[in-house]
Amino acid sequence: MIHLDNVSKKFQEGADALKEVSINIEPGEFVSIVGQSGSGKTTVVRLLISEIRPDVGKIVIGGWDITDIKKHHVPLLRRQIGVVFQDFKLLPKKTVFENVAFALQVSGATRGRIESVVPQVLNIVDLSNKSNRYPQELSGGERQRVAIARSLIHRPKVLLADEPTGNLDALNTKDIIDLLLKINEFGTTVVMVTHNKEIVNSLKRRVITLEDGRVTQDHKVGKYII
Amino acid sequence: MFLIALNRTLLFALQSFWRNIWLSLATVFVVFLAFVSVNFLLAVNYVSDSAINLVKERIDVSVYLKPEVRESKIAEIKTRLESMPQVREVVYRSAQENLDSFKQKHEGDANIQETLKELDSNPMGGTLVIRAKTLTEYPEILKALDDPTYSDLIEEKNFDDNRLVIDRINAIADNIKKVVLAVSLIFIIIAVLIVFNTVRIAIFTHQNEIAIMKLVGAGNWFIRSPFILESILCGVFGCFAAFVFLYPLLSLIQPYISDFFNGADFNIVGYFTDNFLVIFGIELVAIIIINIISSSIAIGKYLNV
Ligand SMILES: Nc1ncnc2c1ncn2[C@@H]1O[C@H](COP(=O)(O)OP(=O)(O)OP(=O)(O)O)[C@@H](O)[C@H]1O
Ligand SMILES: [Mg+2]
Repeated sequence: MIHLDNVSKKFQEGADALKEVSINIEPGEFVSIVGQSGSGKTTVVRLLISEIRPDVGKIVIGGWDITDIKKHHVPLLRRQIGVVFQDFKLLPKKTVFENVAFALQVSGATRGRIESVVPQVLNIVDLSNKSNRYPQELSGGERQRVAIARSLIHRPKVLLADEPTGNLDALNTKDIIDLLLKINEFGTTVVMVTHNKEIVNSLKRRVITLEDGRVTQDHKVGKYII
Repeated sequence: MFLIALNRTLLFALQSFWRNIWLSLATVFVVFLAFVSVNFLLAVNYVSDSAINLVKERIDVSVYLKPEVRESKIAEIKTRLESMPQVREVVYRSAQENLDSFKQKHEGDANIQETLKELDSNPMGGTLVIRAKTLTEYPEILKALDDPTYSDLIEEKNFDDNRLVIDRINAIADNIKKVVLAVSLIFIIIAVLIVFNTVRIAIFTHQNEIAIMKLVGAGNWFIRSPFILESILCGVFGCFAAFVFLYPLLSLIQPYISDFFNGADFNIVGYFTDNFLVIFGIELVAIIIINIISSSIAIGKYLNV
């Protein structure tokens, strides 16, 4: 599903953020990426949504070589990959419903389609009863669930989560992890960047460890080792 | 699909216009000033052209014939002159008419009246007033009159050369036009800059939305077009406002200008009304193009899609 082949990335005036990274992720996997701050985890996520391009190497997602993807194809790629971040990235002046609908609006979906799909994904994240609330009226966990709902709106084959629980307490964290697992069970490939040792260890799923821009560990049933 | 996108683009553009409402209004105002200025330039142009035409109408050559020239000879000369390609019309005033108007003019002057009474015949001859088709043709006509066939019959020629007046009108109008043109250009430049700045600010205000739009896969044009549309709206509103402002203003000024030119019927309002589609259409298209360019540059610079 996701192939990074010998990928290196260097920002201007900096050391290499990624060095010769090769990662293969099969469809349906649930993968955690761990590593110290500055080890290159977010850089991997940004490469996968083509926010930045690799200097060297090749990136293929779902059989689509996006290494030199054309600018006007990037939106199509983004509709096939859901992304969530630590800071949720919700619009404060829009309700839960509108925040999720926004993702459909901007890709030209009809009103009918919006009215039918938004409730479905809100149902998946268990927020149907709060669809008229504004983000500031929600807990951190609920906000992240709105973001996840939005990321699912185009039925992506891949969900990328960059420290989705970074701003959450233990209880909310568990909720979100459970939700990601549920989404994974539906068949979506999930890649989660995290700092949370307990979570990673309790998941008993594949763990990839980055150190200084290199993959140093990659275990099928991994542990948080740093 | 296209209609949905257009509809949402318009909605986003209006939201953006509204969100920075004071900035948007300032932008509209500057566009408005630019158009008031440009249209004022057109009005000055129209008035000076009309004034010059008016003066041109009054230019002619008066040919005072000797008293002894007979009417039949005059009629013949008139016909010959009329057949010249340069001549538009020849008006004949008889000796008697000239005498009558002279008497009338000097009614109060006892001396003159006395002298006239003493004369037993009319000391004045007839007059031919010649108008050329264009101003530049007068020299040729004057030259033709110098020909002995004519000159022997002519007492005196009077070429009422109003070209000085025309030059003065032209000079005044040119000066006004220069100033207004400079002001217009300044306003247009300010308009371009402020539109650029408005779009730049709009992009900054919408940074979150834009980032999210990109994230969820909004098309590049879908992200760009609301900002372009917003700039177009500013231009269109400003252009409309200028016309709404100018019509009453011109109607107000109109009588004063007519007065100034001795009741000549210049109709500035009529001029704008008659050419409304051309003037308004060109101005609208121009501001739309200018604003598209200006906002596109801002987008290219600040909106990284
Ligand atoms: N836009 C950028 N310009 C220059 N250097 C950058 C840029 N983005 C990241 N870097 C550098 O690249 C390296 C990897 O950054 P990255 O954000 O991938 O780390 P990370 O593993 O996500 O860290 P964290 O856990 O703190 O989020 C860091 O050294 C960082 O300073
Ligand atoms: Mg990071």
